[in-house]
Amino acid sequence: MKGLFKGLAVTLKSMTAKKVTISYPDEPLIMPDRFRGIQHFIPDKCIVCNQCVRVCPTDCITLTGKPNPDPEKKGKVIDTYDINFEICILCDLCTEVCPTEAIVMTGNFELSAYSRDDLFKDKEWLTANDRLVRKDNNNIGAPVKGGGK
Amino acid sequence: MIRTEELLLNVGPQHPSTHGVFRIIVKLDGEVITDATPVMGYLHRGTEKLAENLNYTQIIPYTDRMDYVSAMTNNYVLCHAVETMMGLQIPERAEFLRLIVMELQRVASHLVWWGTYLLDIGAMSPFLYAFRDREIIINLFNELCGARLTYNYMRVGGVKWDAPDGWIDKVSEFIPYMESKLEEYDRLVSGNEIFLARIKGIGVYDAETAVSYGLSGANLRCTGLNWDLRKTEPYSLYDRFAFDVPVGRTGDCYDRYRIRLEEIRQSLRILRQAVEQFPEGGETMGKVPRVIRPPEGEVYVRIESPRGEIGCHIVSKGKAEPYRLKFRRPSFVNLQILPKLLIGETMTNLITILGGIDIVVGEVDC
Amino acid sequence: MGDLLREPLTWGHALIFAAAAILLMGIVLGFVTYAIYFERKVIGWMQLRVGPNRVGPFGLLQTVADVLKLLLKEDTIPRKADRVLFVLAPVLAFVPAFAVLAVIPYTQSLYFADLNVGVLYYVALSGISTLAIVLGGWASNNKYALLGGMRSAAQMISYEVPLVISIVGTVMLSGSMNLRTIVEAQSGGWFWNWHFLPQFIGFGVFMIAAVSELNRTPFDLPEAESELVAGYHVEYSGFRFAFFMLTEYVYVYAIAALTTVLFLGGWHAPAPFLAVVPGLIWFILKFACIVFFLFWLRATFPRVRVDQLMGFGWKVLLPLAIVNVFVTAGYIELFIKH
Repeated sequence: MKGLFKGLAVTLKSMTAKKVTISYPDEPLIMPDRFRGIQHFIPDKCIVCNQCVRVCPTDCITLTGKPNPDPEKKGKVIDTYDINFEICILCDLCTEVCPTEAIVMTGNFELSAYSRDDLFKDKEWLTANDRLVRKDNNNIGAPVKGGGK
Repeated sequence: MIRTEELLLNVGPQHPSTHGVFRIIVKLDGEVITDATPVMGYLHRGTEKLAENLNYTQIIPYTDRMDYVSAMTNNYVLCHAVETMMGLQIPERAEFLRLIVMELQRVASHLVWWGTYLLDIGAMSPFLYAFRDREIIINLFNELCGARLTYNYMRVGGVKWDAPDGWIDKVSEFIPYMESKLEEYDRLVSGNEIFLARIKGIGVYDAETAVSYGLSGANLRCTGLNWDLRKTEPYSLYDRFAFDVPVGRTGDCYDRYRIRLEEIRQSLRILRQAVEQFPEGGETMGKVPRVIRPPEGEVYVRIESPRGEIGCHIVSKGKAEPYRLKFRRPSFVNLQILPKLLIGETMTNLITILGGIDIVVGEVDC
Repeated sequence: MGDLLREPLTWGHALIFAAAAILLMGIVLGFVTYAIYFERKVIGWMQLRVGPNRVGPFGLLQTVADVLKLLLKEDTIPRKADRVLFVLAPVLAFVPAFAVLAVIPYTQSLYFADLNVGVLYYVALSGISTLAIVLGGWASNNKYALLGGMRSAAQMISYEVPLVISIVGTVMLSGSMNLRTIVEAQSGGWFWNWHFLPQFIGFGVFMIAAVSELNRTPFDLPEAESELVAGYHVEYSGFRFAFFMLTEYVYVYAIAALTTVLFLGGWHAPAPFLAVVPGLIWFILKFACIVFFLFWLRATFPRVRVDQLMGFGWKVLLPLAIVNVFVTAGYIELFIKH
């Protein structure tokens, strides 16, 4: 019997205790800086090195490059860049390997949509997703300056 | 003439107490179970097969999704296996961070178990209490690695992130908080006569049976066997810390319950020492080649996950991808004893026993 | 109302009775609506949440919204179900739940039927709801529902017995089965005149058996969610399901009112100087305390196992209730009888 009453005392005390719930959709939930949310893409920084595509564990990134329109510069510039959020697991590996920080994580996480098609995000959408961009990217996997192999 | 017949009851895959998509086909004679067949595979994603086409860094996010209640230990077992193969040195700070997150994860995992087990037994509030405290750990992880459930925190050779400013202090604040909450849990549930009557003497097996079924974790220690890989085969830095391994006597659900709660206390004890000894400064990433190619050969490492012995067997052909990767998942192995325990029990005890084994379906099906 | 009942039934009287019944129905529905709201709030607070707060001010319209949703839901009857029984069961569950309210006296003058066997009437009618639950479980043609229905039959029969016998002590002390007379027997001005102190064994047994009769935690085995998914009403949806829920909460109303009447002195104030407060207020206060207690239990306790439940009912509660009858008899024989 004693155990039953002890339990009752705990729940009665909790009645007046501070509530732990948050009114989430009313008040936006601010995630810490390191939060891995939907990626932000900066086309100008991209050197079309294909590292993110190769490292992606779920193959959700596709990109194509085109020759640099400025004939004096070498290399390519990004043409299309798509992330399929049906299968993206936000594992952070693409931002980890990006040598120029062209793709970075943000604190946005609200991805739900009525249609699967809405989950296919293209370059423009990702570029426009520029709120709450992560400041510290800690690119441990990226090649050191001067390029990898 | 009264005709009696056995009732074939399909428990799951959609059932509130099978903790996911797990299914048991039970034959009932009245409310007494005469036969039970577990059916698994509803959450099978082929992690091991997928891993054969992925390099080692890419496999880490997949391990998060095996035992999603305890992703840090899964991260660790894979990284530990690769590091063992390659003979890598891990910086001390990284190893400390790994140990701290693993112990926090153990606390979080046992809290989930505690809450859901009480929910299975019919008490609603403990679930909310447990999740209130787990939320603190989850938020700590969120600050550390930017995710709340699938952390992808460890890397071969170290950890992805160093602890942010003030993070270690937050961990040390959490320890006394959690200890006080454990007392509250005891007051709320552990002495409750209804609860004790429900779990004492249920699902009993002896040490010999446990060993022959390959059980591990609290399911093994409840029989009195003192077998905790953190003590018996110390990995990481566990040999530096003082902690006890709680063991049971009778091998029933009550012992398993008590052991898991006591393990939270012991984890907090380890955490307290780890936070005190946490090294100032230092690298969080060891010297690792650009492309991780373990030498040809095989390795099997095992560590103590909250659910028991999680092992990782890698067969490498010297390539960036494993030739074969096999996880020994404690939930899967521990589940083998379920049909044996269920025969002769009632429907109500099915839930008590299944909950007491503490399975995570993501890990059972892998 | 009592006098009207004794007169020959005319159309005018029938109309009055119907109006009174509809009024009571309105009160009961209002109670059920806000009991559910109150329950969710209380349990929410106890679980460190705030409870419903989205629909209407402070979430006051939450239950209304829920009922509307149930009303608009598709009415499904499983193909293999026994249609007649399946449709009949919720009705059969609700009718006795509402009918028992007729004998509850709220104050000296506010009551519906002044039945001289009020206690017996209550107990006899409430037994019928068990039948409805078994029927519902059987007619659904679902194994979980069947198990839930069978459990509920076993449980309700087992607990009906100690419930009735625990009331016997009160009936003996008051010398009547009329609920109004029982309340009158508890007058005296002070709260120690109420039956819950002299009848503390009876009160304890009654409370436990009552919680069990209500199928509420810790005795909510017929609808044990974690084992039987939802028990007897697993196949019910929409308004038929709402009727089962309604029955459950009407019984909460009935049991709380009955406990107040039998053991907590009905409309009497706990002390003579508090008698200025109207009796109805006291009745509502005591009633609310019991309802709160039921919710409190639900927020705290795990569920009892079915075999332990049976054992507890027959081996502990029943003997206790019988001992209570004998002790009361001895007490009356030695001290009260002149």
